[in-house]
Amino acid sequence: MDDFLKDITAQEYKEGFVTEIEQDYVPAGLNEDIIRTISAIKKEPQWLLDFRLDAFRKWQNMKEPRWGHLDMPEIDYQNIIYYAAPKKDSDRPSEIDPALMETFDKLGIPLNEREALAGVRPKEDRQVAVDAVFDSVSVKTTFRKALADKGIIFCSFSEAVQEHPDLVRKYLASVVPSGDNFFAALNSAVFSDGSFCYIPKGVKCPMDLSSYFRINASGTGQFERTLIIADEGSQLSYMEGCTAPMRDENQLHAAVVEIIVEKDADVRYSTVQNWYPGDAQGRGGILNLVTKRGICRGEGAHLSWTQVETGSAITWKYPSTILKGDYSTSEFYSVALTNNYQQADTGTKMIHIGRGTRSRIVSKGISAGHSQNSYRGLVRMNPGAKGARNYSQCDSLLIGPLCGAHTFPVIRNGCPSAIVEHEATTSKISEDQMFYCGQRGIPPEEAVGLIVNGYAREVLSRLPMEFAVEAQKLLSVSLEGAIG
Amino acid sequence: MEMLEIKNLHAGIEGKEILKGVDLSVGKGTVHAIMGPNGAGKSTLSGVLTGRPDYKVTGGSAFYNGKDLLSMSPEERSWAGLFLSFQYPIEIPGVSITNFMKSAVNARRKALGLPELKPAEFLRLLREKMAFVQMKSEFAKRDVNVGFSGGEKKRNEIFQMAMLEPSLAILDETDSGLDVDALKIVADGVNALRNSERSFIIITHYQKLLEYIRPDVVHVLKEGRIVMTGGPELADKIWKEGFESING
Amino acid sequence: MDKVFVIGRDAVPERVHLQAGEKLRWTLLYDDSLCDSSAVAVRTEIELCGPGADADIAGLYLCRGDSVIDFDITVRHSSGGCTSRQLFKGMAGGNSKAGFDGLIYVAPDAQKTKAFQENHTILLSDTAHIRTQPQLEIYADDVECSHGATTGYLNPDEQFYMRSRGIPEDEARRLQILSFISPILQRLPEETAREIEDSL
Repeated sequence: MDDFLKDITAQEYKEGFVTEIEQDYVPAGLNEDIIRTISAIKKEPQWLLDFRLDAFRKWQNMKEPRWGHLDMPEIDYQNIIYYAAPKKDSDRPSEIDPALMETFDKLGIPLNEREALAGVRPKEDRQVAVDAVFDSVSVKTTFRKALADKGIIFCSFSEAVQEHPDLVRKYLASVVPSGDNFFAALNSAVFSDGSFCYIPKGVKCPMDLSSYFRINASGTGQFERTLIIADEGSQLSYMEGCTAPMRDENQLHAAVVEIIVEKDADVRYSTVQNWYPGDAQGRGGILNLVTKRGICRGEGAHLSWTQVETGSAITWKYPSTILKGDYSTSEFYSVALTNNYQQADTGTKMIHIGRGTRSRIVSKGISAGHSQNSYRGLVRMNPGAKGARNYSQCDSLLIGPLCGAHTFPVIRNGCPSAIVEHEATTSKISEDQMFYCGQRGIPPEEAVGLIVNGYAREVLSRLPMEFAVEAQKLLSVSLEGAIG
Repeated sequence: MEMLEIKNLHAGIEGKEILKGVDLSVGKGTVHAIMGPNGAGKSTLSGVLTGRPDYKVTGGSAFYNGKDLLSMSPEERSWAGLFLSFQYPIEIPGVSITNFMKSAVNARRKALGLPELKPAEFLRLLREKMAFVQMKSEFAKRDVNVGFSGGEKKRNEIFQMAMLEPSLAILDETDSGLDVDALKIVADGVNALRNSERSFIIITHYQKLLEYIRPDVVHVLKEGRIVMTGGPELADKIWKEGFESING
Repeated sequence: MDKVFVIGRDAVPERVHLQAGEKLRWTLLYDDSLCDSSAVAVRTEIELCGPGADADIAGLYLCRGDSVIDFDITVRHSSGGCTSRQLFKGMAGGNSKAGFDGLIYVAPDAQKTKAFQENHTILLSDTAHIRTQPQLEIYADDVECSHGATTGYLNPDEQFYMRSRGIPEDEARRLQILSFISPILQRLPEETAREIEDSL
């Protein structure tokens, strides 16, 4: 197969356009004044400003983590714009700029409820509510009223701070403390917007909810904060997508997602991460340094993470679950594909505290080109996790001789009635498979796409339907150039 | 001009010469059997004709409908109408037979300048051909060859042949590991696909399959050369007397 | 290079280089009842430098008291065409802490590498702790590499089966442990193996 392994051609990244729009910025740099300015723009209560400043002071005493299997570029935190938002028309402050509507339209994210409801787009046969975040602000949250009828709160984080301060104050940083790690501390200090969601007791959310993050402005970073609370017995499927323009500079994305799952509640969180990965020579791309963590607080709670990571120059991300409630369960299903000079260090932590808790990890890494792809995970069985179980399967697929695939799991067992099993394999696409496809008339590039999608099937099949189709296409597109 | 014209073909693997000057002509609409003992070069011949990358051609030529077969990629040979039923079909985990065949059928149509089949058309074709080889419809959802029994794998190969409607099909030891019932289903499938435009090369170690699929011509391949060519009666002679009786 | 190391008595070389065609077969044994010092770290790196080199490493650690054992094993495939196997089995009871770090490193161009690693452990007490960290770092594509790790307890179904055949609980446990560690016991000199059997 080596004959047709090349990694020259550029990837096709169709979301790489820039929206021309006038924006309000705060000056570049990071200090207490900037944080006070952001907080003031957002008209925040004092307690939230205090929270930010406290996080900032912690952050100043922290160091960037260097334990990832990543070659991180130097990040100049004083040269980043921490807040950028499209200017509002002073005559019509409540209207959305048509340029923004058009942008999200182009990205396949309809902000027009009527259109989505009427099924103008054939793929919208299932409704999805979306909170669309453009640089530092939420542009629109759709279906808010329909959801409110069921008692569901779905809005931007900033609105939640104004309208539901008690809920925000109760849960913010309850899963990811502000000093948890360097990037979480940074986010806690400067976060601008994001999504907030509360599902009341016993309510099954009637539609999938989603957040869509778009970076547009140059020289900025995006620091969104998502907080999801699923009260007792509720159910929610949440999806997250993201894209950014093609630029030669690296842009920082340091988000925090916190999920609280109460007794018998069920949350499924799916991500298709398609940040700009940089060009074929490794110039530019998003640095995706994200802390995602959920807690199964009550008995029988369930949290499932599914992620398809194809974008970003660097991914540093470990969606994790604290299994506190007895008999609570969690899964982590991941496909991470890296091509060209992309680097991914991703995985999960499953912390078993409650009795009879169960977790399952399925990770499929795919490396092509000159990329480096690592799975990193922790499974911890605390002494009280009686009868707890974990099963992990981590597979790596290498495409070409110049990439790397790595597996770094840690198991800590302090409970003599717990069982942890971990398996990992490394392989390449076999010449036999390629020849078999070729003999049936399937050209090499298509054959690789087919085989890789097959390899990732177990994870892709966990995604909501419309997301799965998109993810499949994305895997094939992201591999373009891996085989010449 | 014959459909397939092989002249003085030399080929091998990892520097070891296995085919040492094969000459073979296959005319349109004919069925040729190639028999030979283990290690004679039967699978090398099928591999070289379909472009298996680990085989290296060191001399000679092979023309297919006037085109230089040896300069074409595996998929180009497939599009030109060449089909190989693999001796050991390959597993592709996570890829359903439906998806696999959809990719194959549409890649071929694209290469031939035809529009892709609409999903409904494709499914109709799929069902028709599955019925043809007596495969249950659940089969289409299973991953290609994963967890298949020997018989299921071979039947899947014949099903794919029916889907792709080749002009020349090479059956490499399709009979190995099959019980009589499965052998009959395979043979019925092949016989039903026989017509005046389509040719077959049946590579086999035994003559059993040739009782069900009567060949027009029988060749004996031994030590990398075709040492004898005759009619169907040659297969019976080998069955009775063994390959030792054949001397080129 | 077929060698048995009894930790605490024999020093394990920190670095070993295997040239083309060289074979190494090591068995490491740690038994806290045989070892004077209560905190031990075993660190070794085996580098496969030429095609055909083969490393076969097995380890057994039996921790029943207050001991702390840490294995840090690196198998470095610097040349292609080499094979390596690691099989480590451990048991932690009492207040012991048992750690295993195992890295398989496959250098760029070390094609046709075959490297396998397994680490299986049993936790026997509430106050003991097991840590396992099996790692793969791979920079070549035409390789066959895998690792597997499990940590758990003695299977109660097996125990019940034996007890229902009249085997007392303690003896059933002993037999289970014996069956768990037997793949490594077999590699030890008969006398050492018997000593361990008797100590269970």
